Amino acid sequence: MESYVQLFDAEQMMANVRDLARQIADHIADSGKEFALVGIHQLGVPLARLLHDELVKSGFKVESGMLDITMYRDDIGTRQLLPKINETVISFDVNDREIILVDDVLSTGRTIRAALDALTDYGRPGAIRLAVLVDRGDPEFPIRADFVGCRVSVAPEKKVLVNFEASPELPAGIYSGNWQKH
Amino acid sequence: MQWKRKDLLGLYDLSAEEITFILDTAAEFKKVSERRVKKVPALRGMTVVNFFVEPSTRTRVSFELAEQRLSADIVNMQAQASSLLKGETLLDTVKNIEALQVDLVVMRHSATGAQNFIADRLKCGVINAGDGAHEHPTQGLLDLFTIREKKGGFKGLNVSIIGDILHSRVARSNIWGLLKLGANVTVAGPSTLVPREFEEIGVRVCHNLKDAVADADVVNLLRIQHERQNNGFFPGIGEYASHFGVKSSTFDFMRPDVLIMHPGPINRDVELAGEVADGKNSVILEQVTNGLAVRMAVLFLVAGCRK
Repeated sequence: MESYVQLFDAEQMMANVRDLARQIADHIADSGKEFALVGIHQLGVPLARLLHDELVKSGFKVESGMLDITMYRDDIGTRQLLPKINETVISFDVNDREIILVDDVLSTGRTIRAALDALTDYGRPGAIRLAVLVDRGDPEFPIRADFVGCRVSVAPEKKVLVNFEASPELPAGIYSGNWQKH
Repeated sequence: MQWKRKDLLGLYDLSAEEITFILDTAAEFKKVSERRVKKVPALRGMTVVNFFVEPSTRTRVSFELAEQRLSADIVNMQAQASSLLKGETLLDTVKNIEALQVDLVVMRHSATGAQNFIADRLKCGVINAGDGAHEHPTQGLLDLFTIREKKGGFKGLNVSIIGDILHSRVARSNIWGLLKLGANVTVAGPSTLVPREFEEIGVRVCHNLKDAVADADVVNLLRIQHERQNNGFFPGIGEYASHFGVKSSTFDFMRPDVLIMHPGPINRDVELAGEVADGKNSVILEQVTNGLAVRMAVLFLVAGCRK
């Protein structure tokens, strides 16, 4: 954690999460279809859990799952080290269901590209939407989010970090900085 | 942790953490084979050579299917069709393979350490598919995977390996892996095939089936190779079967929840009676299924680590 600045504190971040949940709720309420929230590892998973809790509180019935996209990356063999493969759990029928992919930050769009490939190997969803807490607004692929918690403008060489769990080193919140994300 | 090896040569070299990491990775790859689309693009654009200097069917088929499910391109080479027969050295043969821009070599060889020799001299990754009586790491890993899946862990677990331990690379890979993960290992069989020297590496040596299986949570039976009989290691197949063959009556002194394993191919009614091989304690076919997942994980990890 070398040099970083806080973009949103914990309270503002949670307000963004609740706002994101409201946008999804409005979308679900209008449609009458079957839905599922699928969080992308790492931080899409806790975000999807938070969104799921909010939606259930508002009386919606939504399935949830988690997806690891490591097997679908486009940089295997070009990186020095591979990230660990996390657990994928898709315990509902994907066919014809509307899936809302959830990730913490929309950056290059490459993770989402891989997630679309991964998800469609489980079946043929009726539709796939994308919900992100932070949209950096400069994707390398033609991918846009349908639901956005907040938009930030950060220099390309800087990272955006979402921290849901406060630690002694770093309070919960959204940050930008130069450190190496692991 | 992160995987940092370009080769998989044996379980002797690996830490408990590395073994657990492979098993965890394999658990996710097992799910891929349970989907409608049994394929992921992880090794797309990579080429794997299956170089089997010693014949193999099941291991080669398992590796080949694992490679296909990872979307790799595959070349199969067998000793009978290779230039080794024309007098080319092993190193020249594999250097020629590497010159074709191959990413991984899966190799079986009858000489102990052949893969270690090759791996030190190639930039591409090398996976040991069995070398002499030394190691067969993916078989060891698939046995560990199956045990973990069925028994939940290894600490304090009693595992008995029965058969021709002396000539078995499967036994060695199992022993190294099991000891590192905290299991108690017993090896058993005729004294000619299970010498006392094995005690020095921390396993219990046993020359009596009843003693070997009485407290066992897992009994892993190895194939008795008929050719050993001619070399005087034991008097006859019938005698081996009556002393060390596991049959229904062996359950009189085995735990009712014992796991019966065998790396295949089985000599029915020699080391293992048909009714036990097909019985409710047997996980032999699950071992085959898990072998695919373990080999996908190993290929994926090794391919993902470039030096």
